[in-house]
This record gives sequence, structure tokens and C-alpha cells, in this order.
Amino acid sequence: MFGYVEPDKPELKIREFEVFRGYYCSVCRSISKRYGQVPRLALSYDLAFLAVLLDATSLEATHGDVVRCFAHPVRKRFVIRPNRFIDYASDMNIILAYYNLEDKWSDEKNLLGGCGCLVLKNAFKKASKRYQEKTKRIESLLDELNRLEREKCDSVDAAAEPFANIMREVFECPHVEDEKKRKVLGWLGYNIGRWIYILDAWDDLADDVKSGSYNAILTQYRYDGGDLDAFKAGIKDKLDFSLTYSLSECEKAYALLGAQKNTGILDNIIYSGLIVKTDKVLQGRCGNNEKKSI
Amino acid sequence: MKKNPYKVLGVKEGASYDEIKKAYRELVKKYHPDRYRGNPLADLADEKMREINEAYEFLMKNAGGAYQYQYDDDDNSTSSQGSSYQYQSQQSSQYQQNTQQGYADDLELERQARACLNRGDLTGAQRILDRMRTRNANWYYLQGLVFLRRGWYDRAYSNIQRAVNMDPTNFEYRNALNNLNNQTYGYRNNPYYYNTYRNSPDMCQICGTLWCADSCCECMGGDLISCC
Repeated sequence: MFGYVEPDKPELKIREFEVFRGYYCSVCRSISKRYGQVPRLALSYDLAFLAVLLDATSLEATHGDVVRCFAHPVRKRFVIRPNRFIDYASDMNIILAYYNLEDKWSDEKNLLGGCGCLVLKNAFKKASKRYQEKTKRIESLLDELNRLEREKCDSVDAAAEPFANIMREVFECPHVEDEKKRKVLGWLGYNIGRWIYILDAWDDLADDVKSGSYNAILTQYRYDGGDLDAFKAGIKDKLDFSLTYSLSECEKAYALLGAQKNTGILDNIIYSGLIVKTDKVLQGRCGNNEKKSI
Repeated sequence: MKKNPYKVLGVKEGASYDEIKKAYRELVKKYHPDRYRGNPLADLADEKMREINEAYEFLMKNAGGAYQYQYDDDDNSTSSQGSSYQYQSQQSSQYQQNTQQGYADDLELERQARACLNRGDLTGAQRILDRMRTRNANWYYLQGLVFLRRGWYDRAYSNIQRAVNMDPTNFEYRNALNNLNNQTYGYRNNPYYYNTYRNSPDMCQICGTLWCADSCCECMGGDLISCC
């Protein structure tokens, strides 16, 4: 998970921001309560978004508390009271973070990834036991992802598919009872996943050229080792289309979901936050290295 | 149980005809079948559209307009029957449009591929397309639709683009290509996303511009900001 899903903060009402942060903190606290303090570090924005989205599918009232928190000792924070959706988001956060670190360790022998893996091992075991079927499916999709990378797949669409399907798995939350809503969530997840994968590939272009690692964009558009900026400028429009179309599909799915609450935050993310992020990354102004804590 | 028509349209109970009509138009725009063409959620959008139409017709006949003046009546009664949005599937006419080219068995395969696509059976459609011998404009078009449905937008675009290039006169292909472009355009220009403050100059730029202007003026012998 990469933390690309963010609200467009300047457009957000202060109250809405407070609620969004409430969900974010709640996912974090849910992790600490059930998995211990260290796995909290794996927290990502994308899963906070998932918690907000899933909670919006139910009509149950949301409650919040103002509590003092270990991570922010000075001021008390508003935190949404945990429910099954928030717990689900935190479980998925652990699972995805673990796989992400494992991937880093096996690919680049990244020491941080290896250590993180060891630290998260127990939490991961616990979380995957809760959702055995899901974990199994995610694992086989990851195998596919790695296979495509090994084979140096020359299509961005094909390379993005396994990750998009992982996100489909994650978004299809078993706690959402309505089957139609689950289907809508799944399609939303697929497109968000696709968007994340492609955006991340674009963000990593320079690093991947330097290290010579696989990058679907470089293989599809046959980068020949020349000027990277010229290469990027030449294909930007195509990727812009691909990314924006994925987002427009997210938006369509979201329209069909008929969110019952949190619409201010969700509208902000779906209609504005994602496209702002796309433009920022496409222009190369920032990306993954931005500070992510709220 | 039937849903509350006011809730379906998202208006207050006892809303006027105009409010109902406005809300209805917005919703039609949002759930329009054109927007969901080639989308795996198209059936859900259709369902939603039906719900909206029913609610609108019900309100136009019964509840709404309680606060209306008499002279508005004629206008509204016609609109309740006339302007309500009806969606008809264009599939049957599309078959006939494309039947001029290709071999006879390819035509049959093409028909099957479309049928698979309509059912949402992507693997079936792909298998049939792989079996087809002629790679004409129509083949690329269908392949593009399969990719679109599968979520492979980059390939979908290039295939449909190719179909249009091979047969620029075909309305269906051009329509599909335009639709792809419209989706991204529509999303980028959605009313929520104001782009104004992002493009406005920041303090640094303003100061820089002033300083430049001042220097230029001084070169010419004048002065814009007298203190420096």
C-alpha cells in the first residue's frame, strides 16, 4: 500500500477533516489494541479511506470519543468508536503491509523490509487467520504479480491487473451484507488498485531506470536508455488517460454505492483528492516521499 | 416494499414541480446508461435508472405540484409523459450495422462474441475473438470493448482507436471512442473539483513580478516602487 488515496485538504471542511482523522486514528488504535504497538507503524491512508467508505454503506450511527493517545501525547484527539468496518480495515492494513514488506525484502533485499517482515509476522498470522480465504486469494494474486514481473510483462494493463484484483478482494468486505454493494465496492477497489499501481510505476520511473528493476511503463513503451524526461513527456498523455479513466470508473461505482454518511469526505476524495494526486505525481512534483502522517 | 419516491429523487416531501424536475435531471445525468456503457455495473445503473423514472412519474402524477399554480398545469402534465427518460437497448440495431463485412462464419462468431459480451462473459468473448480469422475494424472494436469491460483501459483505447482509423465512417466506433474521451473529460471537469486556487499565483510570484516590473521601469528611467 502506498498512501496515494488522500483527501484534497484545502477543499475539506474542518469538521469533515476532523472526522476523517477520527477514522484514521481509529484504524490506528484498532491495530494497536489487537496487534500491539509496533504494527501501528504500518498504518496507511488508503485503509483509512476504506474504513470511511465501508462505514458509509451502513446506516448505523457513528459515535466518537475524545481521547488521549500514545502517538499524540499533547492534545486529545477525536476518534471514531471502532466497529466491524474499522477492525476490518485494520486487519487488511496488516495483511497488505506485511506482503508489501515481504516483497521489498525478496526483490531488493531491502533490510528495512526484512526487519519489518519479522516484526509484523505475528500480527500477520493473526490477521490472516481471521480471513483465511481472502488471504489465500491475495497470495495467489501476488504470485501472479511476481510472475508477470519476472517475465517482464510488456503491458501496463496486464501488469496492473493482479494488484487491482488484490484491491478488489480488499474492498469486497464480507461485513457488507448487500451483495450488490459488495460488487460495486469490488469494482471501485479494482479501479483504485489499478490507479495506485500505475501511479506508483510512474513515480518510480527514475529509481527503476537507475537500479534497472522492472517497470511496466518502461517495458510497454520501450524505454531505450535515452533522456528520461523526454520519454516521460512522450507518454504522459496516454498514462493520463489510463489513470483518469480508472478514476472515472471509481466515480461511477461510487455513485451507485449510494453512501449513507461521510459523503462530504468521500465526495472530496473521489471527485477531487484522487485527481489532484494524479496531477501532482504526473507532473513529478511530489509523490511517495511526501510526509504521510496527519 | 416500494421506496419513498421523494427519497429516491433526494428532494424534500412536498417539493415543487421545478425542484423535482431539477433533481430528476441531475440524477438522469448521473446514472445515464451512456455513462455506464461497457461497465460491469451497467445492470445496477439500469436498475437505479428505473427506480428514478418510477419515482419521477409517480410524483408527477400524484404528489408534487400541490403548491403549483393553475397555469403551470398544462406544461407539467405533458412533461410527465413526454420527457421522462426512456432507455432502449441499441444492441439489435448494432448487429445489423456491422454485417456487411467479413466471412459468413466470422459473422456468426462476431454475433456470438457480442452475445457473450452482453452476458458479461469476458473469457468466452475473448476465446471467440481469438478464433476469428479476419482482423477488421469490427474485430478491433469488439476487442476494445472486451478490454474496456475487463478494466484494461489503455488497450481498450488503442483498439477502439484502431477500429476508428480503419473505418472512420462507422458511427458506432466513433461513438465509443468519443465516449471514452468524454468520460475522462467529464470526470476532470466535475463540479466538485474547482481548480482555481491551484493556479493562482503565490506570494513569491507576486513579489517577483513586482520586482521585475520595478527594475524594468528603472531601466527606462522611471520608477514603479519608489522606496527601492
